[in-house]
Amino acid sequence: MTMVEVTRRNIGLGAGMVTAVALTAAALISFSTAEAQGAIEPGNEAPIFLDAVTAQGEAIDLPDFEGKTVVLEWTNHDCPFVKKHYAAPPENMQGLQEEAGEAEVVWIQVISSAPGKQGHVSAEKALELNETRGAAPSYTILDETGAIGRSYGAKTTPHMYVVDAEGTLQYNGAIDSIKSASASDIADADPYFLNAVNAVVEGEEVQLASTAPYGCSVKY
Amino acid sequence: MPTLYRCFVFFLAIFALAVPALAQKVDGGHATVELVSERAVAVPGETFYLGLSFELEDKWHIYWKNPGDAGLPPEIRWPDRTPPEALSDVGEFAWPTPDLLEVEPGLIMDYGYSDQVVLAFPVTLTEGADGPVEIAMRVDYLICYDVCIPESVDLRMLQSVGSAQIADDYGSGLIQQGLMAVPPRFEGDAAVTRQGDVWVLSAAGGQLAELSGEARFFPNDHEIVHAAGQPVEFGPEGLQLRLTPAKSDADAPDVLAGLIKIGDMAVDVQAVSGPMIAGTSGLGGGAGQGVQTGAINLPLMLVLAFVGGLVLNLMPCVLPVLSIKAMGMVSAATSGHAGEARAHGLWYTAGVLVSFAALAAAVLGVRAATGIATWGFWLQDPVIVSVLILVIVLIGYWLLGLFELGTSVQNVGSGLAAKQGAGGAFFTGVLAAVVGAPCVGPFLGAALGAVFGQPAIEVIAVLMMMGLGLALPFLLLSFAPNLQRLLPKPGAWMETLKQLFAFPMFLTAAWLLSTLGALAGFRAAAILVAGVALIGFGLWAWRAAGQGAKAILLSLLGLVVILPAFMLISAVSAVDYVQAVIFLALTIGAFIVVARLPDGAAGGVAKAVAAAAVLAGLGWPVMQAVGSNASAASAGDSYSASYDTDTWSSERVAELVAEGRPVFVDFTAEWCAICQVNKLQVLQTAPVTEAFAAANVAFLVADYTRPDPVIAAELQKHGRAGVPLYLYYAPGESNPQVLPETLSTSLVTGLVAEN
Repeated sequence: MTMVEVTRRNIGLGAGMVTAVALTAAALISFSTAEAQGAIEPGNEAPIFLDAVTAQGEAIDLPDFEGKTVVLEWTNHDCPFVKKHYAAPPENMQGLQEEAGEAEVVWIQVISSAPGKQGHVSAEKALELNETRGAAPSYTILDETGAIGRSYGAKTTPHMYVVDAEGTLQYNGAIDSIKSASASDIADADPYFLNAVNAVVEGEEVQLASTAPYGCSVKY
Repeated sequence: MPTLYRCFVFFLAIFALAVPALAQKVDGGHATVELVSERAVAVPGETFYLGLSFELEDKWHIYWKNPGDAGLPPEIRWPDRTPPEALSDVGEFAWPTPDLLEVEPGLIMDYGYSDQVVLAFPVTLTEGADGPVEIAMRVDYLICYDVCIPESVDLRMLQSVGSAQIADDYGSGLIQQGLMAVPPRFEGDAAVTRQGDVWVLSAAGGQLAELSGEARFFPNDHEIVHAAGQPVEFGPEGLQLRLTPAKSDADAPDVLAGLIKIGDMAVDVQAVSGPMIAGTSGLGGGAGQGVQTGAINLPLMLVLAFVGGLVLNLMPCVLPVLSIKAMGMVSAATSGHAGEARAHGLWYTAGVLVSFAALAAAVLGVRAATGIATWGFWLQDPVIVSVLILVIVLIGYWLLGLFELGTSVQNVGSGLAAKQGAGGAFFTGVLAAVVGAPCVGPFLGAALGAVFGQPAIEVIAVLMMMGLGLALPFLLLSFAPNLQRLLPKPGAWMETLKQLFAFPMFLTAAWLLSTLGALAGFRAAAILVAGVALIGFGLWAWRAAGQGAKAILLSLLGLVVILPAFMLISAVSAVDYVQAVIFLALTIGAFIVVARLPDGAAGGVAKAVAAAAVLAGLGWPVMQAVGSNASAASAGDSYSASYDTDTWSSERVAELVAEGRPVFVDFTAEWCAICQVNKLQVLQTAPVTEAFAAANVAFLVADYTRPDPVIAAELQKHGRAGVPLYLYYAPGESNPQVLPETLSTSLVTGLVAEN
C-alpha cells in the first residue's frame, strides 16, 4: 500500500471523477425523463409507446407509423361524453374516423380503464363495440396498466391527440368547444380536433394546438 | 284603504306560503335539486336571488365553475333557450368555495362539491310583472363518483309578485347559506411572478394577514397544472404558492384569477403579473392541500437528515465500503503523513457530497418528469445494480489480493474505489453514498416523503445535510491527529484485516444480486455470477502469466479441445463433421504454436487473454442487464408459503374492506433491506401468521421492486418517499392505520387482537 501524494495527477483524476458522477446523474435524469416525458405539449416529440396490445391482435409501436399522421382517441364506451360523440345521429366520431381514414390517417383508440373499472373491455368486446357503433378506428389499444395514458397525460374520455408524420405532437385537447354531454350541441360547436387534423394533413400550422379536454376522467 | 292594502299583502303572503309546495325537490338520480327563491313576494323591477339547492348522494360530487381536469359545472337550460319574459335579467351563479377532488394523484384533479351545495343566482323581475310568475327551467349537471352520469331535472316554481317584499324563510335561508360560502373579493395585494419553471403566486394583506394552514389555489381557468402540488410558504403578511404552469416555459399571465383557500377560508384573487409581494415568505411552509404532502419543519428536517447520515456509517450495507477507507486512514496516520490523511478525508467528503448532489438532481429530475419522486429508485434499474455488483466484487478481489493497484494505473476502469490516494478516497465516498443511501429509509422514510414535495432548494439542502452526516466521522478522524493515535499500529494484521474485509463486500454483492434477480430474472443474476467468475479468472491469469504463461494457455487449449470432440460425437451431417474437424485442427494448431512460442510472447498472449476475460466479465452481465426484460420473480412470492397473498390494488382493498375482512398491506421491494428484515423476523414468523389466519386477515403485497406509478402514488398519499410502508385496515374501516417502518411481532399481533 503506497501512499499517494496530492499531485496534479490526482487532482486531475478527482476532477475526472466529478465529471463522471455529473454525467451519470445527467444520464439518470434523461433516462427517467425519457420514460415519463415531461411536457406533453404540441411541438414536442409525442411520447413513444412500443409493443402496445391492440384489440385487433397486433402489437403496435408508435414509430411504425412514421410518415403518417396519427390520431389518438382516449375512450370509455360507458362514459356519457363518449356516448355523445358516438350517438346516432349525428355519429360524430364515426364521421371523423371515416374522414381520417380517407386522408390515410392512422386512428388509434386507447382504452386506459383499469380492470374492474368503467370502460375496461376485452379485445372481443372492444371489437364488437366498434362494430355495433359503426366505428372504424385503425387500432384499439388495450392500455390496462394505464402506462400509455399516463405517458400522454390523458385526463378525460374523450381526449384527443394528433401526432404528425415526424412523430411531433401537434394537438392535445378537446374534441370540440361545447363542454356538454348532449349530442345536440355538436353541430354548434367549434370542431377543434377536426381543424387540427385537417391542418396537420394539409401540412399547415394548427391554429389552436392545445385546449382543455372535457369529459369523464380516465378510469386508471 | 291602508287596511285593505295590508289585507291584500297578507293574503298574498298566505298564498306565497303555499308556493314552496309547488317548488318540490326533484330527484335526478344521484342528487335531488330544488329551485328556491329568497322572496315569498317580490316587487316588480327588483333584483333578488333564486337558488338551486343540491343534495348529493354520499360520495358523489358535482363541479365548480372550473371543474379541473374532468367534469362539467351545472348549467341552467331555459325552455326555448331564453329566460321567461317576467325576468328581465338573469345573472351568473355565485359559486361557493369548492373542495379538491383528487381523482388520480399527480394526473387528474377536479374541483367540486359533495353532500350539499346551493348555487344562488340573481334575477331581475320586469317592471310590468304581475300575478304569480311561473319560472321553469331544466338544470343539467354532471354527477360523478367512480363513474360520471349526466343528470337533468325539470324545475318549476311560482314566484308571487306584489308591491312589498316579503321574505321566504325557507328559500332565503338556503340562499344565504350558499352566498355565505362564496369567497369574498381579496382586499390585499396579489402578484404572480415567473421563477424559472414555476409561477409564484404571492398575496399579502387583506383577509390573509396572519393566516396559516392548509393552502391551495383554485384557478378560474386552465393556466396551471391542476394536479400538481402547490408548495406553500408563509410570511408575516401573507403567503406564496408555487404553481406549475400548464404550458412549460410560459410567462406569467397578466392576470391570474382564482381562489386562494386557507383552511376553510377562501378569497377571490386577481393576481397581476409583477414582482413578488413582500412579507409573503420566511415563516416556513404550511401544508399544501391535496397532493401536497404537508408541512415540513426545515431546520428539524436538516437535523434529522444529518443524524440519519451519521447512522448510515453503521449500516451493514455501508460498512464494507467504509472499511476500505479505514484501511487508508490507518496507513496514512501511521506513516506520519497527516497532510495526506487530511486530503483523504476531504476527498472522501467530496465524493459523498457530489454523489448526494447528483442524487438530489436525479430526484428533482424524476419529480419534474413524473410528478412523484421516491427514494432508492436507482436500485430499480438492472444496469445500475449490475454495475454496482461488479464494482463491489472487484473491490473484494482487490482486498483479497488478487491484483494490485500500484504506481502504474494499468486499468483505470477497474476498482476505482480500491485505489489509494485522492481518487480512491473520492470514489470510496461515491460508493458509500450510492450503496448506503437506500438504507436511510427506516430513519427518514416518512420525513423524506414530505421533503420531496418541497421546493428544489430544500430537497438539495436536506440531501446534502445527509451526505455531510455520512462523511463526518471520517472527516473528523482525518483532521484530528489525537483520534488517529487511537488507531492501532500497522503491521501484518493489516493484510489479514484487508483480506477479511473482502467478505462483507461479497455479502453486499449477494444482497444486490437478489435485487438483480428480482429485477431482471434469475438468468441475469446467473450471468452476473458467470461474469464475476470470468473476471476472477482474468485477474488470476494476468498475475500468473509471469511465471507460467505457457502452462495457462496450454491447459486452456486443452479444455477447449473438448468442444470439437463433442461436436464430432454429436455431428449428424457432413457439414457438422467438416466444422468439427476444422475446429479441432485450429485448436491443435494453436496448441503447437503456443508450445513453440518464446516465453515473453506467451506472457503477452496470456495477458491479452486475461484482459479479454476481465473485459468480457465486466461487459457481458451489463449488456445482459441492458437487454433484460424478463419477467422477474415478485417480491411477494416468498410470502406464498405463509399467506394466501394477493397483489395489492386500491380496488382490492376496497372489496375486502366491504366484505368486512381486516386487510394488511405490505409495500415492499427486493432491494429494501429493512423490508426483508421485517418479513423474516416478523411477518413470516409463526405467531404472526397464526394470528392473521385466526383473524382472517387478507394479506396484500405491493411490490415496488420495479418502478410502478400506482404504488408510487399510494406511497405519496401516505407521505412516504419509499418502501417499506405497512397499512392495516381494521374490519370495515376504509381508513388504514399506518404502521411504523420497523415492525415488531407484538405490534402486529396486537393489531388483530384488538378486534
